[in-house]
Amino acid sequence: MRASAGPPEATRRHALRSLVLDPKLLTIGAGGGVLSGLLGVGGGIVMVPLLVLWARYPQRDAHAISLGAIIPISVAGIATYGVAGEVRYWQALGLAAGSVVGARLGARLLAQIDERLLKVVFGAFLVGVAALLGARG
Amino acid sequence: MTGTTLYLALVSFGVVAGVASGLLGVGGGTLVVPFLTLAVGFSQHAAEATSLLVILPTAIAGSLVLRRHGVGDLGLALRFGAVGAVGSVLGALLALALPGSTLRIVFAVFVGLVGLRLARDGLFPERQRR
Repeated sequence: MRASAGPPEATRRHALRSLVLDPKLLTIGAGGGVLSGLLGVGGGIVMVPLLVLWARYPQRDAHAISLGAIIPISVAGIATYGVAGEVRYWQALGLAAGSVVGARLGARLLAQIDERLLKVVFGAFLVGVAALLGARG
Repeated sequence: MTGTTLYLALVSFGVVAGVASGLLGVGGGTLVVPFLTLAVGFSQHAAEATSLLVILPTAIAGSLVLRRHGVGDLGLALRFGAVGAVGSVLGALLALALPGSTLRIVFAVFVGLVGLRLARDGLFPERQRR
């Protein structure tokens, strides 16, 4: 019966290692989480560049890991704001319905656009939004 | 805006925010929060809370697509995100402790920095990886 006591040593070690996150990942995850909860954003804007530049993940993997991480991160934020009574569920449903469709559309458009021009225009637009928010503050 | 008009505006704006996030990887919360405060009249706190609930299904849908294409490691991502969840609770508690006007300024600075970075990446793409 000793043979069926568990997976081989190497497999167990591998499973153990994959459960332990390296300190860089811990720091990036925690930082992205704080930003997400504080500002109501996903946190990918800080997690992706840090995963690429600091933790040395390839761009595609960094993007995928950041996107997956946003799932538990947003759940925790929603729960915290939800307890405080700040979440507007009905409005979120409408926005989310549009957003899921739009994200697929955007991903498909990605191959056909001038990404540099788009970044400049959208970046300038966001700076304008920031100024408007600041003026209202 | 009330009733059906508001709802149509919400769904339409959701599409816009979704397209932006699909194209640039930016634009979920960065666009939804200002839209909810400036156009719909939400408080900063309610806008941020609601934005997170918009981001969640978008992230789930995107992650499922990536997993189908074999990109990334969703298990690692979720464990990584579990650490982030602790940070997220702390961040949300901090936000709830701040007055709305202060939080709005912090958010405005964040949006401004994101905008500047995008514009820089567009103008000087060779510097992006530095």
